[in-house]
Amino acid sequence: MKRTAIVVGSLVLLGLGLSQVSPFRARLEAALHAGGHEFARVMLSQDKGQALCSQHRDKLPADLIPGFLAEQKALIKYPANGKLMGDWKNGEKVFTDPKRGNCYACHAGVASEVAYGTMGPSLTNYGQRGTSEAVVRYTYEKIYNAWAFVPCSLMYRGGVHGLFTPEETADLVAFLLDPESPINRR
Amino acid sequence: MPLWVLRAVAVFVLLGLGLAQGEVDPREEAKRQKQLLLETAGILPTELIVEQGKEFFNRKGPLGKTMAECDFGLGKGVLEGAAARLPRYFLDTGKVEDLDSRILTCMTRVQGFRPDQIKRQEVVAIAFYIASFSMGKPIQVRLLFPQERELYALGEKLFYARSGARDVGCATCHISYVGRRAGVLPYADVLGKDKSWTHWPAYRYSNDQIWTMQDRIRACYGNIAHPQPDLYSLPILALELFMAYQNNGAVVEEWPAFVR
Repeated sequence: MKRTAIVVGSLVLLGLGLSQVSPFRARLEAALHAGGHEFARVMLSQDKGQALCSQHRDKLPADLIPGFLAEQKALIKYPANGKLMGDWKNGEKVFTDPKRGNCYACHAGVASEVAYGTMGPSLTNYGQRGTSEAVVRYTYEKIYNAWAFVPCSLMYRGGVHGLFTPEETADLVAFLLDPESPINRR
Repeated sequence: MPLWVLRAVAVFVLLGLGLAQGEVDPREEAKRQKQLLLETAGILPTELIVEQGKEFFNRKGPLGKTMAECDFGLGKGVLEGAAARLPRYFLDTGKVEDLDSRILTCMTRVQGFRPDQIKRQEVVAIAFYIASFSMGKPIQVRLLFPQERELYALGEKLFYARSGARDVGCATCHISYVGRRAGVLPYADVLGKDKSWTHWPAYRYSNDQIWTMQDRIRACYGNIAHPQPDLYSLPILALELFMAYQNNGAVVEEWPAFVR
């Protein structure tokens, strides 16, 4: 089968200069399409950040970090009304929904919820940080695009990928910071 | 939303819901469950499937031949240690094949089945049977032919690639976050001490399924809501060859294995 013949040159792809146009690209594409067109489409549409993290195996060289962070920061969008803290009740729905936040997969949240992962830090009592403008803004931006703070971290960029909207991000912020939120109540 | 996404998401949730607070070593727990099954049923599901696979193996195909007429890499009909040396390049097909795809090749080219006549469950059962001849053998996968080297290189790239709306890939959890968990089980150190290549094919007691590594890889992509590569496809073979080669020398403790 000709498709088996993926040239060693394909190494440079999937994480190194996806803009490169060459016969190698065509062969890599053929190999990926052999796995199904949806699979190939997603693999071949890595954005610049994903490509860099793949290429450097999650450890970016120091000289690339400032530019990477700035580019990720530029991807953050904010709610039209400018409010970064919304409705915690809706925030809890987004937080729990596996198709949107899916946050319990990695974080502890409301203390009574025992089904949580340990990939990320516990968010129980996150609100003890207060609701200063700086805390609210950091929380919003971190949720919307975690890579704007920690390059290539496991936490996926839910806002950037549209898993939740800017308004829903603000609701998530409220769920974490609002003193009335169950995440902050005993 | 396509069905697979919903299913993938459901798995993600189910994994989450089953969490217990106390940490139990999943391997010890699997051993306990296995013992329990053995005591109550007198026979293990893995043994039943191996027997089933043996029947399929010795069944004559449309051309009147059994699978003993096929070469799984060590010569016609030789099964002893064959699975531990797969995937590998086969001159007769000009392809790199793993156990699953070699079974498919045998059934179509030698036995004369049409591809649409071949049931996945039969392939897995046959894989269980053939793999059972490699217990105690070390994994010995080579990168001899250019086709093997090329596929390995693709597998390595795929393993470390971060893609899709969840920004993750195999290495994110199985290298960077080994030991932490997003579900019931801590992430395995796939390339390192867990030698995950030697854990499949396996029977999964938590949902009564029989899987080969092909199914395992597809489920991994499913769990991260990423489109899955098709069964028997190049991306799966590439990942398998990469993992198998990385686990070279690891001794197969139990094939087919018994896992959660």
